[in-house]
Amino acid sequence: MPKEYELIEHTADLGIRVKAKDLKELFRNAGLAMFEIMAEPAQIDDKQKPKTKKVIIKQKADNLDGLFVNWLNELLSLSATKELIFCDFKIKKLDKNSLEVEAEAESLDKYKVNTEIKAATYHQLKIEKIDSRWQAEVIFDV
Amino acid sequence: MAEIWQGPLEKIDDYRFRIPKTYKPGMRVPGIIYADEKLLKDIRQDKAPEQVANVAFLPGIVNASLAMPDIHWGYGFSIGGVAATDIENGGVISPAGVGFDINCGVRLLKTNFQYEEIKDKIKALVYALFSDIPSGVGSKGDIKVSEREEREILVKGARWAVEKGYGIEEDLECTEEYGAIQGADPLAVSQRAYERGKAQSGTLGSGNHFLEIQVIDQIYDQKLSDAFGLTLGQITIMIHSGSRGLGYQICDDYTRSMIHYLQKYNINIPDRQLACAPVNSPEGKAYLSAMKCAANYAWANRQCLMYLTRKVFEKVFGMQWQKMGMSLIYDVAHNIAKIERYTIDGKEKTLCVHRKGATRAFGPGHPALPQRYKNTGQPVIIPGDMGRNSYLLVGTKKAEEETFGSTCHGAGRVKSRTAATRSINVEALLKELESKDIIVKASGRGTIVEEAPQAYKDVNEVVNVVHNAGISKRVCRMRPLGVIKG
Repeated sequence: MPKEYELIEHTADLGIRVKAKDLKELFRNAGLAMFEIMAEPAQIDDKQKPKTKKVIIKQKADNLDGLFVNWLNELLSLSATKELIFCDFKIKKLDKNSLEVEAEAESLDKYKVNTEIKAATYHQLKIEKIDSRWQAEVIFDV
Repeated sequence: MAEIWQGPLEKIDDYRFRIPKTYKPGMRVPGIIYADEKLLKDIRQDKAPEQVANVAFLPGIVNASLAMPDIHWGYGFSIGGVAATDIENGGVISPAGVGFDINCGVRLLKTNFQYEEIKDKIKALVYALFSDIPSGVGSKGDIKVSEREEREILVKGARWAVEKGYGIEEDLECTEEYGAIQGADPLAVSQRAYERGKAQSGTLGSGNHFLEIQVIDQIYDQKLSDAFGLTLGQITIMIHSGSRGLGYQICDDYTRSMIHYLQKYNINIPDRQLACAPVNSPEGKAYLSAMKCAANYAWANRQCLMYLTRKVFEKVFGMQWQKMGMSLIYDVAHNIAKIERYTIDGKEKTLCVHRKGATRAFGPGHPALPQRYKNTGQPVIIPGDMGRNSYLLVGTKKAEEETFGSTCHGAGRVKSRTAATRSINVEALLKELESKDIIVKASGRGTIVEEAPQAYKDVNEVVNVVHNAGISKRVCRMRPLGVIKG
């Protein structure tokens, strides 16, 4: 997929600016960008396609900003505890207070992990509609 | 690069600069940055001073929102920030004033070796340490614990490790809070946090965490060095790590709930990441209890890392660690909130002191110090970058009077990770370090570049400020010989 994000400079940490045609795609692209920063597929000897696992993720929040941060942090948390790397998302339901996603993940051992992202933060968080496209900026603690 | 910060910084003296309370409506106290003119230029390069002003909004904050000379742009609090709130007066606790890596900290141990005796063994040591100490992102340790044991770690901290045989009683005496802060409640920790912390005991982690073999290259205070049993040319070891995934999850869990309750407590803050709750509220108390669990986990973790280090030395030199004099000098937390007593305007107050990238620096005679350090003051350990120096300092009475017993915690970043990756060539950097007789082993080559000396302020300049401002005192300086990076 074409790169739908760019890095934002931050002295201690790391930020991203993500773009998308709609909100659902914005959430999807932010999730994908985060895991692209964290890990890359390892060279695997067996030619078999790694098995994917489906995970249903539900989140609630007081507003869209909260939902966005909770979504990314839930992914980080699941990735760490289940030892998974998420590789795609179907956003089933999304409004400003709740979210339901069918996520696709692969086992962590199929990947080379480059950067540990501890969490997504609210610091300078921005989600906005510019002309007809959506854009989000978020800073991670790395 | 971020824009240059244009706000007001009034010079109080050569090492103190004030952001007046009038800078932003809503600031309850002024901001005070400890720095000199040279460091101030770097400090203005990013948004750290703005964050110092934002922290001044916290309900119950007393005296000033403080920043140490290693201050740089973080999220919510600046890194290098110190803020104390009056808990009997609505004072709040903010998870951002502690950070995701709760009780990230550093410990320093000494050896009987002189550099000349073991300079040919440094490479073997670095390789053995790298192979025996789990490091890197999400690394898992050989020290496996059940969930029941994890709960025990959260309450007992480093004592758990000592009871398992991973150290001795004396190690606990030489650890802040004796390796276990009281009041940790495992029930305040979510199931997810348990899961995230599982299997990570005795692991170094990644990013700026490290284990270093060092040599003392300068003595500043002979009397204090004698008291610590340290001489020029002596080999020391420094370990920098934290609470790993457990701490991240606790910070995330409680930031979520505190953002939700901001309205309930009528709290106005200019950055939502500064979400907080009164220390005495149910949410504040629960966070504090959970934070203490992560702090204890981190002390247990550094104790395990020290145990593994001692084992490696035993393997390489074929003798017991006690024979090599590998005793702990001290272990300090530099991401933590503490309930401490101070005199404010002539009145005894109980304060919640946030140290976000700052080190406790109690002076001689402080009741929290073990007998052995009652005369010297608390050892303060300041790690630098992998190419320059690290320091041993001691705390002072002046720090207790001025900075809620706090000082700096390291060099402080000056270049972003992305800028470092863009501008630094890994091969050239390794060559440069090799020419200085520094051997580096890291899990990822990316980490070496991100953590390059050029990405940091000069720790010598940072320490110069805290020494000259009187908030800590130089004892001796180390330079790195071997570095293990996550």
